[in-house]
Amino acid sequence: MFVHDLFKLSFHNLLLHKIRSFLTSLGIIFGVGSVISMLAISEGAKRQALSQIEALGIDKIIVYSKPVPQVGKDVSDSSTQSFLESYGLLRKDLGHIKDMDNVATVTTLRNTRKKILRGTKQLDVILVSTSTTFLQDSGSDITNGRWLSPADEAHSAAVCVIGRNVKRKLFFLGEAVLGGRVKVGNAVFKVVGIMENNLGTQFPELNSPNDMIVIPESTSNAFFGFSSFQSEGRRRFQTTYVEADLFIVKVRELEYIDDTARRIVSFLEKSHSRDKDWGVTVPLDLLKQREQTQNIFTIVMSSIAGISLIVGGVGIMNIMLANVYERRKEIGTRRALGAKKKDILFQFLIETVFLTTLGGMLGIVLGIGISEVVTKYAAWPTIYSVWSIAISLFIACFVGIVFGTYPAWKAAQQNPIDVLRSE
Amino acid sequence: MGGAPEETIVKFEDIKKSYMIGAQEVPVLKGVSLSVEKGEFVGIMGVSGSGKSTMLNILGLLDVPTGGRYILNGRLVENLSDDELAELRNISIGFIFQSFNLFPHLSVEQNIEVPMVYGEIPSRKRREIAKSLAERVGLGHRLKHKPSELSGGECQRIAIARALGNNPAFLLADEPTGNLDEKTSHEILELFHELHARNQMTLVMVTHNILLEKDFDRVIYLRDGRLSSKDEFRGSGG
Repeated sequence: MFVHDLFKLSFHNLLLHKIRSFLTSLGIIFGVGSVISMLAISEGAKRQALSQIEALGIDKIIVYSKPVPQVGKDVSDSSTQSFLESYGLLRKDLGHIKDMDNVATVTTLRNTRKKILRGTKQLDVILVSTSTTFLQDSGSDITNGRWLSPADEAHSAAVCVIGRNVKRKLFFLGEAVLGGRVKVGNAVFKVVGIMENNLGTQFPELNSPNDMIVIPESTSNAFFGFSSFQSEGRRRFQTTYVEADLFIVKVRELEYIDDTARRIVSFLEKSHSRDKDWGVTVPLDLLKQREQTQNIFTIVMSSIAGISLIVGGVGIMNIMLANVYERRKEIGTRRALGAKKKDILFQFLIETVFLTTLGGMLGIVLGIGISEVVTKYAAWPTIYSVWSIAISLFIACFVGIVFGTYPAWKAAQQNPIDVLRSE
Repeated sequence: MGGAPEETIVKFEDIKKSYMIGAQEVPVLKGVSLSVEKGEFVGIMGVSGSGKSTMLNILGLLDVPTGGRYILNGRLVENLSDDELAELRNISIGFIFQSFNLFPHLSVEQNIEVPMVYGEIPSRKRREIAKSLAERVGLGHRLKHKPSELSGGECQRIAIARALGNNPAFLLADEPTGNLDEKTSHEILELFHELHARNQMTLVMVTHNILLEKDFDRVIYLRDGRLSSKDEFRGSGG
């Protein structure tokens, strides 16, 4: 029997029972639909997580200051209660880390801990000082004006670059931002640029660059001294002293980033032996962890999709077995007219595979639909690839072969005598 | 038969067939020898239980004997694989069934084509042959119809056309008029006679209908798994 005749025959038989074929393949439709949408959702979540982590840069080690839960040192006198809280990374730590092998550059960030007010209302915005490498190292961009220049640093210029959100909080709509003034305590800074971070970068213990007002280090030193002081209250003084809040350590060789991170950690463990007032994160490790979690998620989802495919496949096997029984006479007649066992086998097998593959195609449409709905209403990003569509079709085909073989074999084993005699 | 040089189409040499029922061997055919020559119209008659169906199955290569030799068209049918038997059925035997066994979802044309499909005849050629065969059985105008739109007699004509597709060595008909009324039965027999006379078609018809005796060149009577004479057959009440 020619192959094309075999295909024509199987396809013809499917179309004889359109509703039945459709109902039979429902299990596959939903199974494949869930495979497609599951892959799309998990791929979307993965990309989102990756872009967040990549925003910090995989060739970087983030070293940060961490407040220690403690009552500050009591320096009260009779009239006032004063506490001095001091913690975090020190300038000498910076010197040490900079000297390590495999460390290319270190960008320092210090939160000045000054209150930023609009009228009397305190804004959720921080004033930080940093070096010119920060823009690139944080994955931010300048949308208007310019970034801080070496000249600003050299002259301790009273200029600042403000984050996207800061602009909204400090300036009225339509107000000229560039050249505008930001007043912090007695200091006034001129806005020279607007900075934007679209990667969702979030520094530990600090905000996103979008919520920062950034000034040069030398400017900060000139206006506010070399450390961050924060005082609270009238009678009760709470003073916070921090030398540096964040080091963005960029390594030379990505391969040895874990070694470098370990050396930083062991150095800090020794030099900050009293309190663990620091933390170290390696975005690359986070990335690996995230991938691992993602993989587990994918495995769980795949198992669920797999179960629905098995259920669908068993359903199809069931219907095909009934179908074989119902068509005993046809099979017997075909055998008498010269059909070989394999002709019968392939006729039924191809029929099943057609059924599951068509179901798979509908399932792909369904899955893409689900993904679109999820993206639209749950605002989860979804990504479906040619690869996921191809693999779904392959799975559908495979289910057809696995669950179609037994009924097809059963059909081929049908003894024509039994059928022709039972007239 | 006429005066044409004889050529044996079917030759049974002491064919035996028994079935195992539990541990007991039950013989159904107890040594049957016969031959059918080219161009003969042979009837095989027997009551139910005489081994008629078993003989039909062996003749039609749907079953293999447990003893004896079957020579079909000069070829010894022995130790053949399932596939080889199917192939031989396809090219050598034209089956005609009591209840027609047409495929209800296929058109007349497609029904006639089925054995040719298994014989791997290219589709254009198949269509040509199907058309000429339909015309030959007088249903050339029904090619696109479904069997459900035809009468019983017409269905059997289509089945006969189908059996002729691969130009078989002989037609094997199993009670072909069993489901038809008298008039239609007569028409179908006419068609057989026509094929026999005009095309020297070899025909083997299995029936229990004693009224058909006169239609055959020769009748083979089967009784209790053995060949028997006409008188014996009559005597047994067959």
